[in-house]
Amino acid sequence: MEIIKVVANGVHPGVLGWVVWSLGLCGAAFAEPTAVAASQSNSGSVVAAEMPEKSRAFFKTYCTECHGEEKQKGKVRLDDISLRVDTLKKADEWAKILNSINSGEMPPEDAKQPENNAKADFLEALSQTMVVARKALSDQGGNITMRRLNRREYQNTLRDLLGVEINVGTLPADGSSESFDTVGSALFMSPDQFMLYRQLGKKALDQSFESAVRKMEVHKTHIEAEAETIPAVERQIAEFVSIRKRHTKWTRQVDVAALLPDNVKMAGEIREKTKANPEKFYLEWEKIKGAPGPKEFGFPDAIDANMMNGRWDQYVPQGADYLTLPKAKTGTYLGVAQLHHRWVSVSVPKNWPAGEYKVRARLAATAEGAEERRFVDFLSDYPSSQVLSTHQVTGTMEQPQTLEIPVYIERDGARRFKFGEKSILGNPDGKGFADQVFAAGYKANHIGPEYAVWVDWVEVEGPIVPARDAKVFAQIRGQIERFQKGECGARQFLSEFAGRALRGRSVDSEFIDRLCGIYETRVKEGDKPLEAIKAPLALLLSSPSFLYLVEPAEPGKSRALTDLELATRLSFFLWSTPPDEELLKLAGDGQLQKPEILAQQVDRLLGDARSERFVRPFVLQWLGLSRLDFFQFNSRLYPDFDLPTKAAAKEEVYETFTHLLKKQASLNKLLKSDSAVLNGLLATYYKVPGVVGDEFREVSLPANSPRGGLLGMAAILAMGSNGEQTSPVERGAWVMRKVLHDPPPPAPPNVPQLNRLASKPLTTRERIAQHQEDAQCTQCHRKIDPVGFGLENFDAAGRWRELDLRPGVPQQRRAIDASGVFFKGASFNNFFEMRDLVAAKPERLAQGFTEALIEYGLGRSFGFSDAALAAEVLERAGKKDFAVPEFIHALVASKAFHSK
Amino acid sequence: MNPNLSRRHFLRAASSVIALPALESFGFRTFASEKPIVRPKRMIFLGFGFGVTKETWFPDVNQVGAGYTLPEGLVPLARHQQDFCVIQGLSNRYSQDAHWGSTFWLTGANRFAEPGQSFHNTISVDQAAAAKIGQDTRFASIQLNGGDPGLVEHHQGHGPGLSLAWDAGGKPVAGLNSPALLFHRMFSPDTMSLEQRQAMLAQERSVLDAVMSDAKTLQRGLTRTDTDKLNEYFQSIREIETRLAKDEQWLGVAKPKAPVDEPPAKLHGKEEIRLMYDLMVAAFQTDSTRVFTYRQPTESLVASLGLKVGLHDMSHYAPGERMEASQVRDRAHSELLAGLLDRLKGVREADGSSLLEHTCVAYGSNLSTVHNLENCPTLIAGGGAGIKLGQHLVLPKNTPLCNLWLTLLRGVGVEAERHGDSSGVVKEIMV
Repeated sequence: MEIIKVVANGVHPGVLGWVVWSLGLCGAAFAEPTAVAASQSNSGSVVAAEMPEKSRAFFKTYCTECHGEEKQKGKVRLDDISLRVDTLKKADEWAKILNSINSGEMPPEDAKQPENNAKADFLEALSQTMVVARKALSDQGGNITMRRLNRREYQNTLRDLLGVEINVGTLPADGSSESFDTVGSALFMSPDQFMLYRQLGKKALDQSFESAVRKMEVHKTHIEAEAETIPAVERQIAEFVSIRKRHTKWTRQVDVAALLPDNVKMAGEIREKTKANPEKFYLEWEKIKGAPGPKEFGFPDAIDANMMNGRWDQYVPQGADYLTLPKAKTGTYLGVAQLHHRWVSVSVPKNWPAGEYKVRARLAATAEGAEERRFVDFLSDYPSSQVLSTHQVTGTMEQPQTLEIPVYIERDGARRFKFGEKSILGNPDGKGFADQVFAAGYKANHIGPEYAVWVDWVEVEGPIVPARDAKVFAQIRGQIERFQKGECGARQFLSEFAGRALRGRSVDSEFIDRLCGIYETRVKEGDKPLEAIKAPLALLLSSPSFLYLVEPAEPGKSRALTDLELATRLSFFLWSTPPDEELLKLAGDGQLQKPEILAQQVDRLLGDARSERFVRPFVLQWLGLSRLDFFQFNSRLYPDFDLPTKAAAKEEVYETFTHLLKKQASLNKLLKSDSAVLNGLLATYYKVPGVVGDEFREVSLPANSPRGGLLGMAAILAMGSNGEQTSPVERGAWVMRKVLHDPPPPAPPNVPQLNRLASKPLTTRERIAQHQEDAQCTQCHRKIDPVGFGLENFDAAGRWRELDLRPGVPQQRRAIDASGVFFKGASFNNFFEMRDLVAAKPERLAQGFTEALIEYGLGRSFGFSDAALAAEVLERAGKKDFAVPEFIHALVASKAFHSK
Repeated sequence: MNPNLSRRHFLRAASSVIALPALESFGFRTFASEKPIVRPKRMIFLGFGFGVTKETWFPDVNQVGAGYTLPEGLVPLARHQQDFCVIQGLSNRYSQDAHWGSTFWLTGANRFAEPGQSFHNTISVDQAAAAKIGQDTRFASIQLNGGDPGLVEHHQGHGPGLSLAWDAGGKPVAGLNSPALLFHRMFSPDTMSLEQRQAMLAQERSVLDAVMSDAKTLQRGLTRTDTDKLNEYFQSIREIETRLAKDEQWLGVAKPKAPVDEPPAKLHGKEEIRLMYDLMVAAFQTDSTRVFTYRQPTESLVASLGLKVGLHDMSHYAPGERMEASQVRDRAHSELLAGLLDRLKGVREADGSSLLEHTCVAYGSNLSTVHNLENCPTLIAGGGAGIKLGQHLVLPKNTPLCNLWLTLLRGVGVEAERHGDSSGVVKEIMV
């Protein structure tokens, strides 16, 4: 290691280790240390940034002539500048220096210029120092800001409290690319939002009360798939047969008229003109004297007549063929062309109540359909068609399967659902997989492709009330009955409800008084009592006591959480919802603080299906997966990376994490693994044989497979592209940030862009090599780019490739070169060697994961003052080979998790 | 007599006049002829997020003053050349986040100014203006926000925020995100009777009192940062109270009849912007508000222009396909703006002057071009702030953008001492 000056007065040893580590200074395989120092600051923060002493020499050589003791051009003086960046003012000064060198403004053109490497080194040190400085100066010092329920927690809370799920899409989205959606300081409130909470609360109450008091009746509707298809196909054939007949009659009569002596010359001219497309002759029928018009034959005009006649070819042979299929009379073969039977749909009548329903379909894959077509999309049909899920069809014509899909139906939400072949909707950029299938099939036989999926029937049944909701409804029903019988007054109703809604916290009596006042006003206004009570209840659900997770504390003093607060924090961490009865009971009995009980509860929460409410949002935000939705993938280049496949690719990341969590497996498996967690659809995409079905499961991979671990996941690789081309820079930066825990500083503003070679036919690698030309670029890209090169064997959609087929790249330079050298570190020849190098440093991924977990779980950004906490978590998890649940146990057991 | 009361009486009596074109606010009193007529000042701030194509958007720096050649990107605005000025050299010096085109555009704040926090902002110029010139209208200001689904999470060139506007505490102000919502906010008639509405207002007050009492109880025993957080809630409730007070003032005045048709529910990109512009003019015509901000859609605009280049890729244009796409986008922006200016010119006040003569339209972004934050693209149109028009000005490099905002504030009659990091006014554009 090169000499780093680290000033550490009374800092926890773990902190020091962390600071060095977090800056990517310690890994010999990757990079030599950056000359950045950190020390305890005098401004209250634990750590402050400091520029290396040798910066003075740099200033002396290039700057102080104009910015020194004698001259202070632009009022900037650098000879006596403090190297310690520990106040906002100093940070602003240094930011200005960084900015003016980055922008090329300084040193001025006519002054002595530093050599490229020296400049890059200086810039790198300064950029990193600024990152440390900003981080240190914005350190919350372990303070957790009280936070509002975010959008999804609000939705879950209403579900658990009222048994109903409402669409919260009208609320503004929380969080940003910079922080987790649990970070209190970034969760705002606005007047419109307050009004929305009231509306949504009222809506949830309406739906809940209705469900609570209604008769528990289960409805069912069953549709034989052929019922609509057969008449539709027959109607269509008849229609086109008639069209052809009428068209033939019309054109014959025009032909006859054309033979009249008066018309011969004109007809000859038109025929000459339309030689290439003789049917166009009839478009000019008006020039033929005595010719009948298309209107007489039932066409609006000549263009329409020709067009409709032209479609005969597409519709009639296909329709006739369809009716001869063996099981066309007992079901529907899903079509891929613009025919009537692209879908089989089922509706839930408007008067059936809201709640959970089961949609079922009996399906089979035909023997003729290609394997990659044995999937169906399940879609909502109104107000807009939207794919809800994709399913592999495993049933055969001899032995069809029954697929069952649960759907939650809102009172005013989608009520019509349908099944179609995968990707039948196409991609937003136009053509989709299904269109290509049809085009290929039609070209081959002028009828269309083989049918791949057959649907026997569809049905929908419900509402089927899940046990948890049923319990909630029973409770609410009891309360409503007592209220209506006069056994419980409005005040008691409100107090009881508030007790549950406010997570066991006591309710202020003045607040209840005022809520009662509102109830009484509504009654006076003529509302029925049960309706009138909803107004104060909705208000309760918009009150700060409900919307904020409150943990009172004396200013400046940390204190231990109460049992109830601990239960709440834990439940929101792992379930994104208030504590359940068991947690509340343990808290009430004073048991929850006992380490072994708390650990049991963590295991219980993680083992429950509701832990999905932690896994998905956490992984999404930790790994920045929302970037995957940033780009529309070019469906001409990547037809098989359609929306369902993209969704499955994203699912792989969640499912892999869940798998590690449930199996208590090591986080290291995310770096390299001989197995992957796949379902049928994704395995088909990866060309991993023998995986059938919708559920994800662990699959052993062949020894030479690039899959297994984050770096081989289509979702991760596809994020590092723009939907057309790979971006080694995006990929490299992502790996540095998430896997190697050596985040590059934010891309600086005002750096001139390199356009010199923009129009040259270069390989991706050659293009990016330009970064070496300029110190401003080199300072970061020398670390980022090599990692991206190592991933170049994956195309933009994450498929393995050997050639770079970028248009314009000369043939002989197309072979992918995935070799590279980590900056001042080890070299690798291909993807596999790079992956091994990365996997040899598991503590880096673990560090990043720990910080993310702390940020998410405690609801505040990770600061230097959290370094000891991170070290504690890592140490404990490290003893168990970084088993994923161990990190969570360690965080929950930490003092920080128990303190306000 | 309470001036508010007398105005309210008048409003009730005169509600039928309200809907007359380009009339009839009560900030100026044509009926009381003792004072000269003062037309109300109006402001529009249009932020387009990602920057512009440098090569073809900025006029030649060697041609300053009047009679400069309009660059390609501004050519669609040629017919209005005498009614706007293009200003170069302005920047927000604290801005460091490239691709944050809007977060600090109207505020000039230093993101890191607050120790222990990684984000800080201050009041935006529109809100500073609305506090004064928004007093006499039904809505003190209206914030609009592009309907791109990814806008909140991915910023799409705009940076964090809920609209261009930030309140007095530096907190984000939410915006309406579709023309239909804006239309209903301004023109949908109340279906309730006056008494019903009065009763409802009273109920709303008790509702607010109730949650306020809860908030006050909570406030006891909170730490400083938690109190700050809770203050956002208080602030929201107070804001609703202010709205209620406004509602009460306007209780007797029916909402104006819409001078335009109700827009369709779903509009994207170019169509959304066009309709929003139409509705801004309609709002001024009916004097529903005098201050607008609009954080314009970026992704859906590009899609509606049929461009296949990714938004972020386009911002990092290089000669070729991406640069051409960026130029198409610039021209589309200019065409839309030219349309807005046409309409503002087309509406005449009672004295024959046009709306544009009394409106100040500020158009630009904090992001200059590619990844650069210096020389924010800035175009000011209309006579609202009384600045020189028909000019191309090149100010010294890195002149605070807030100097311009301060100049405009004073121009519309707001006696502000400073705004953001302003160090003075831009004398060069003052008449």
